[in-house]
Amino acid sequence: MSTENYVCIACPIGCPLELVHEGDQIVDVSGNKCVRGAKYARQEFTDPRRTFSTTVPIEGSNWARLPVKLAAPVPKDRILEAAQAVHQLRVQAPIRMGEVLARDLLGLDGVNVVATRSLGRA
Amino acid sequence: MFGRMNRRYDTVVVGGGPAGMGAALGALDAGAGKVLVLERDGEAGGILNQCIHAGFGLQYFREELTGPEYAERFLAQVIDRDIDVMPSSYVTGLAVDSEGTKQVRVLNERAGLASIEAASVVLAMGCRERTRGSIRIPGTRPAGVLTAGLAQKLVNQKGYLPGKRVAILGSGDIGLIMARRLTLEGAEVVGVFELMPYSNGLNRNVVQCLDDYDIPMHLSTTVVEIHGRDRLEAITVAPVDAHLQPQLDKARKVPCDTLLLSIGLIPDNELARQIGIQLDPVTGGPVVSSTLETSLPGVFACGNVLHVHDVVDYVTAESLRAGGFAGEWSREIRRPKDSIQLVPGNNVRYCVPHTLSPDREHTVFMRVKQRVEPARLRVGGLMEKTLRFVIPAEMISLKIQPEMLDRFHGDRLTIDIDPA
Repeated sequence: MSTENYVCIACPIGCPLELVHEGDQIVDVSGNKCVRGAKYARQEFTDPRRTFSTTVPIEGSNWARLPVKLAAPVPKDRILEAAQAVHQLRVQAPIRMGEVLARDLLGLDGVNVVATRSLGRA
Repeated sequence: MFGRMNRRYDTVVVGGGPAGMGAALGALDAGAGKVLVLERDGEAGGILNQCIHAGFGLQYFREELTGPEYAERFLAQVIDRDIDVMPSSYVTGLAVDSEGTKQVRVLNERAGLASIEAASVVLAMGCRERTRGSIRIPGTRPAGVLTAGLAQKLVNQKGYLPGKRVAILGSGDIGLIMARRLTLEGAEVVGVFELMPYSNGLNRNVVQCLDDYDIPMHLSTTVVEIHGRDRLEAITVAPVDAHLQPQLDKARKVPCDTLLLSIGLIPDNELARQIGIQLDPVTGGPVVSSTLETSLPGVFACGNVLHVHDVVDYVTAESLRAGGFAGEWSREIRRPKDSIQLVPGNNVRYCVPHTLSPDREHTVFMRVKQRVEPARLRVGGLMEKTLRFVIPAEMISLKIQPEMLDRFHGDRLTIDIDPA
């Protein structure tokens, strides 16, 4: 049996997590104060994923950039590739907060690019 | 635009960030009729508009939002409830006449200099970043040395990348978040340098902003020289000893074209100072009573102008309360004077508010001087609480019930946080 140590990123508390496994089989998770921690450790062991925020160029607004987020996490080793794909998008004002700008980024189910603020016309 | 606006309000709020919007809503909830928010920038929302990362609202909205989403939700309420917001407006002064009415002097790009009357005023100007001048880094003065928050605004709102090879001094959360942000934008972040032997940011930000991208953090290390004539070319870094003094014999040069400073925030209190409001030298913010009222009657303060908070949810909670008391004041409701002085004791750097009254529940915010794990928090002889750990970077929030203060007959209450 071996152990993996993680710091939970589900909330600002940052619980130190310990995951015990036998090969691919998870035996135990400890150190978490809530269920999200256990879920995070299992996910991190089997298929680590992250979401991120970035911006896309917007035309016709007072600001040069529209902030966006991913609606679902991408595999950790594809973050930079996903960021580059988001940066290819071009949008035009007006935009409403919550508007979906692209669906299933990199062919990943549910990884939509969502506007995180409204920007009217300049 | 200005011509159509009222010149007389029940409550005027200075600053349209999360604190100002919370205070305006709090004032309205408490029965203020007309409320005005004066904002220096071109739009309300404050610094949240440039904080595009997630992590806001976990306490207040019970979900994780990005900064702009948090701001827009509040702004929607502000607009729905007919609170006037005047952007591009800079408050230059505040005077109180013999009846106690406030005259707020405001400079607006279209209306020029104007005076607005208010029964009560809430100060919600937020904070600003410490700069190179605050820590006096030796060396030349090239372009490319800027605060992390300024870099955040350039990247996230204006679409400029400030550099290609970036070093970061200070491990506060803004610095960590900018390390990830610049990496996603294609810059190389060569390292984060932190004077203290521990990170000042949240552990989860060390993991998801540095570790995920193999960005090294150098603890007990600082920048001792800046090189470059027109543009930054390199920095010299050195480890520090136990007294935080750089060991120059172990210094090394790190080539980079950009240095971000994430070295702390200070309440932006020029207005408060100018009008003679009493300030606390430790927090840098006004001394306030349990109604968050400053030394100038009818002038209240909340958010980062009062003391620097770590999460916006706390700012919102405090601002709703401050706005509530300001709204009451505008209706001529006067609370009894506070009778208990709150005193920071062992290992307590500060507590806010500075005084308490036994007539209602209080929320006291405080910070410790040193890390203790586990810790015992004691409020006079009245209550005791064990905390898993306390660190200077994390604010402690404590509720004090009126029943507890009922039993207290002294006029000074000391808070101590000792090892448990």
